[in-house]
Amino acid sequence: MSLRRYAVRRLGLGVLQVLAVATLVFLLVRALPGDAAVALAGDNPDPRRIEEIRVAMGLDQPALERWWAWLSGLPRLDLGVSLISGRPVSEFLLDGLGPTAALAVLTLVLLVPVSVLVGVLAALREGGVLDRVLTAISVGLHSIPEFALAIVLIALFGVQLRWLPPTAVGAGGNLLAHPEVLVLPLVVLLARPICSISRLVRAGMIDALASDHVRHARRLGIGVTRIRFAHALPNALAPAVQQVARTTDWLLGGVIVVEAVFVIPGLGTALVDAVAGRDLPVVQGLAVVFAVTTVLVNLLADLAAFRLAPRSAGLA
Amino acid sequence: MRAVGGLLVVIPLALALLGPLVVPDELTRGAPFAADHLLGTDFVGRDVWHQVLAGGRTVVLVALLATLGSYAVGVPWGVLAATSRLRLVDELVMRPLDLLLAVPSLLVLILVAAIAGQGLAVLVGVVVLVNFPDVARLSRAAALEIAGRPALEAMRMQGESWWRTSIVYTGRSMLRTVAADVGTRLTSALYLVASASFLGVGVPPDAADWAVMVDRNRGGLFLQPWAVVVPALLVVSLSIGLNLVFDRALRTRSEVRV
Repeated sequence: MSLRRYAVRRLGLGVLQVLAVATLVFLLVRALPGDAAVALAGDNPDPRRIEEIRVAMGLDQPALERWWAWLSGLPRLDLGVSLISGRPVSEFLLDGLGPTAALAVLTLVLLVPVSVLVGVLAALREGGVLDRVLTAISVGLHSIPEFALAIVLIALFGVQLRWLPPTAVGAGGNLLAHPEVLVLPLVVLLARPICSISRLVRAGMIDALASDHVRHARRLGIGVTRIRFAHALPNALAPAVQQVARTTDWLLGGVIVVEAVFVIPGLGTALVDAVAGRDLPVVQGLAVVFAVTTVLVNLLADLAAFRLAPRSAGLA
Repeated sequence: MRAVGGLLVVIPLALALLGPLVVPDELTRGAPFAADHLLGTDFVGRDVWHQVLAGGRTVVLVALLATLGSYAVGVPWGVLAATSRLRLVDELVMRPLDLLLAVPSLLVLILVAAIAGQGLAVLVGVVVLVNFPDVARLSRAAALEIAGRPALEAMRMQGESWWRTSIVYTGRSMLRTVAADVGTRLTSALYLVASASFLGVGVPPDAADWAVMVDRNRGGLFLQPWAVVVPALLVVSLSIGLNLVFDRALRTRSEVRV
């Protein structure tokens, strides 16, 4: 299959996924048991308040129309209005985007080189002390809850040793101006993905180094470094790239937790606050943004993996 | 390594399961974040050591129940998809799961819990919802592979009953796949349960629960770090220990088979 045909098919699947996810979120929030407006109005329902919420959420219109209004509003970033502050949900998005994007982009930028380095180092020393130590660490940290790791690091480096600020309070929304604030959050966000990706790189590298084409390259007399990095590594990277996409799932979840722990005013904090305040339009809007981001990243990663190793990338 | 992994699991597990039995009934309340007990007091003045003893059970039990639930739903789901003779059924059963896998799991958890409300049953339900698609995929692949084996074909030709071919043989063969998967499933359930509790999803805000303790006592990190660090370390230790123990078990198994 050519890259273009694959891209078109994969794009079609992506669009379907986005539509389905948006619909799912819509159904989850709108198909509440009982009347959402009554549930939202709180313990002391005031009829006027109920009516207000009903109009704000469009509950006075038929379900199909609401669904269409919701879907057609998405491309224009018209996600409705907060029940609590009355601000448009898109403003919440713009406010929180900066810190969250800074965290996510920096994590992804650091993630790939570090995990490739760790994976390749372990693979080249297969069975040695370094390999065993790296493997033990990456197995152990593989599914460690971010909040627990974060608290232990804060207690050690922020409170006991006082090397790093324990929270991002004071940095405001502009994290990049205070790089010392970012160190602990990035370490916490990177811990899980590095473990899983470096293990994949390690396994892929060991396989690739034992494969026929590398053996052939050796027979041709090509230098060791060139074989390792020009011939073996690209093959080892394909599964890792797809895993990078899968880790955006963790990353987005992790961002929510990390923002809560380090008091960073990003999208995750906005989401947690909205959930706590039962501000459903905001929850709905942010959820769709998170979900669509995941779908898009998966799409890009599948395309990249196809480009790197067309045979191994199936049409998921 | 084995000893380290074992110790890391045994200490939190023993605290979680035996702790509630030895914790005294009458609650002693003192000043918040004071240092007058073994591990001091928490944000409302409860003895942190007592909270630690009482707080592991929910995390561990919910993770265990959710893991069991994932298999109870996922294995029949995957086997149904694999054994149905209609391709349409297979597609109909498996395609929606791709959708669920496309959404961040913690997001699903927060979303559903925001709508379904509080309660440990909700927490178990959501973790099952997030975890069972993987189990279903795995079981489908395993069941498809088993159904194509010559042994099963021979059994069918010999006229063995449906019970013996489908349940006894296929079931026994799938047990191995499931056993290899238990570790991943359990640690991921533990991760989700703890993270959700930390975010205040599914548990009451004053619950005796390690994750809730970490969240609630964060404000006193400078005054009384034990109230935050001890429960956080217990969660860390349980998670690392489980990973190491299951990984070790998996590797010795595969070595024996080879």
